[in-house]
Amino acid sequence: MLDIATIIGLQNRDGGWPYRKGGGSWTEPTVFALLAQSVETGDAQSIERGLNWLRASQRRDGGWPPRPSVAQSTWVTSLAALLPPASIGHAQYSAAIGWLMGQTGEETSLVFKLRGELIGNGAGYQPRDGWPFFPGAAAWVAPTAMSILALEKARRAQIPGRIQERVQVGCQFLLDRVCKDGGWNYGRSSVLGVEADSYPETTGQALLALNSVPSAKLAKALAAAEDQARRCQSAEGLSWLQLGLQSHGMALQGPERNLPCRQLMDSALGLLARAAQRGRNIFLE
Amino acid sequence: MASAGCLTLTRCSLVGGPPPLPRVSIVRAAYNQSLYETVRRLLVEHRVDVKGKRVVLKPNLVEFDPGTTINTHPLLVHAALEGFRAQGAADVRIAEGPGHRRVTMDLADAAGYFKTIPQFEDLFTDLNLDDVSQVLLREPFSRLNSVYFPNTALGADLLVSLPKMKTHHWVGATLSMKNFFGLVPGGVYGWPKNVLHWAGIDECIADIHSAFPRHFAIVDGVVGMEGNGPIQGNPKPAGVLVAGRDMTAVDATCCRIMRINPAGIHYLRLATGPNRLGEENIRQIGESIRTVATPFAVNPEFQDLRI
Repeated sequence: MLDIATIIGLQNRDGGWPYRKGGGSWTEPTVFALLAQSVETGDAQSIERGLNWLRASQRRDGGWPPRPSVAQSTWVTSLAALLPPASIGHAQYSAAIGWLMGQTGEETSLVFKLRGELIGNGAGYQPRDGWPFFPGAAAWVAPTAMSILALEKARRAQIPGRIQERVQVGCQFLLDRVCKDGGWNYGRSSVLGVEADSYPETTGQALLALNSVPSAKLAKALAAAEDQARRCQSAEGLSWLQLGLQSHGMALQGPERNLPCRQLMDSALGLLARAAQRGRNIFLE
Repeated sequence: MASAGCLTLTRCSLVGGPPPLPRVSIVRAAYNQSLYETVRRLLVEHRVDVKGKRVVLKPNLVEFDPGTTINTHPLLVHAALEGFRAQGAADVRIAEGPGHRRVTMDLADAAGYFKTIPQFEDLFTDLNLDDVSQVLLREPFSRLNSVYFPNTALGADLLVSLPKMKTHHWVGATLSMKNFFGLVPGGVYGWPKNVLHWAGIDECIADIHSAFPRHFAIVDGVVGMEGNGPIQGNPKPAGVLVAGRDMTAVDATCCRIMRINPAGIHYLRLATGPNRLGEENIRQIGESIRTVATPFAVNPEFQDLRI
């Protein structure tokens, strides 16, 4: 696993972080590098440069693009909104929350629902307002989980709006998408009537987002997460499982095999999972 | 025509006079050391000129399960790497952007790529997380006017599709053209790349095919997948590689081997028109379709595609 000094060393001159060494700056690794610095001994100058990059890359609509050259705000807005409001500025933070509150999966749009009724395609999932990765597409587990976590932070920061209501609908979206094995995959528990398996990374993310749901109601999901952890072949997946289980008061010992962290993202997540096991889950602050 | 900050690509391969008949090779193959020589011969046979050029190999990496045939076999990827190097390529990279799982390196590890391909990590680019450029699509089939593509793919002199021969529950068959969905970056569009589904899957396959005209294909049909592919189907040995420069012709030939009517595959019709998909319009090399034909089971909604 890359330590925090190495992660800081990967920072680009413009203040952002790349997914891989030498690449351009992206919103997602920049947020995770900043979150990792908040649970480790960070570098104040590096943090400020990172926050400046983030502030500068926010779009006029309040959202963030995956990287500045992409002319579209996307789900990564939920990641930027995981940072403390004061760090990116209250006005900018409120604009981000406003953007998130306005996003839904396309399947809940009036046109789509009307079309479904007309062609008799009413079966399947109850359309509920989750969040898409990219505006105009369907809602999925990962962006929904991250948006719920961001909105819960906004609610704790007393940002006005019907946040609690939206969080509850988002949680219901996740509960609707549980796979037969108890965990979550990208967001389809069955495809053409065939049950689909869950993934460690999305199971961990969903459990984390459902931290306010009583653990007793999630017994099967928690058991699935423990089972996945024993078989997990990805450090990133294992870190999400650790974070998710920890949010329900459960500690997790990883598989005996040491899973390699290869990049900034899985290393930063590893640091966040380690901090959660020490009692500081940054996603729930 | 370039505009500020973007590339514009058109369906240039579809204009002009009638092209010569595309050549498609069918060769028997197995997952053993002979695969290296088989691939080398294919490249010679198709006079693939890559001297001094940048080649990007695009396998199909989908899921962890090593017990199935979801992913392109690592031996084929390594054989292609060695083959293009032997042909004088200046740089050969392996690149992929899986559609559902974002832990690409772990996926590649579980699929045996690290074990089979020396220095795999140095040779590999995760296309989901690569830097991107916007490409404007002129006359798109889909509802998309532009797509962000990874710079590694855009910078390739030759993009080599190395798909698995599989049936597909939405589009009938997934072969060399559909494999290019992995060029669309998850870092921009997410996991899954659902924007493509909303814009029309078949139409997007045809658009991406147009956007990358410098391509070659080697389809891994040694053991393919039938039934509810591309993930939940069953292994189906066909014992062949199918290769060529024209991906529509390669995919049409694969369909015939699978006993699927290529004219029933919508994206093939879009990309080339139904008239050019006929057997008489493809010059077959090596084994004949008849000698290697292996009926692949398809989902009920595709029964009418059976030959």
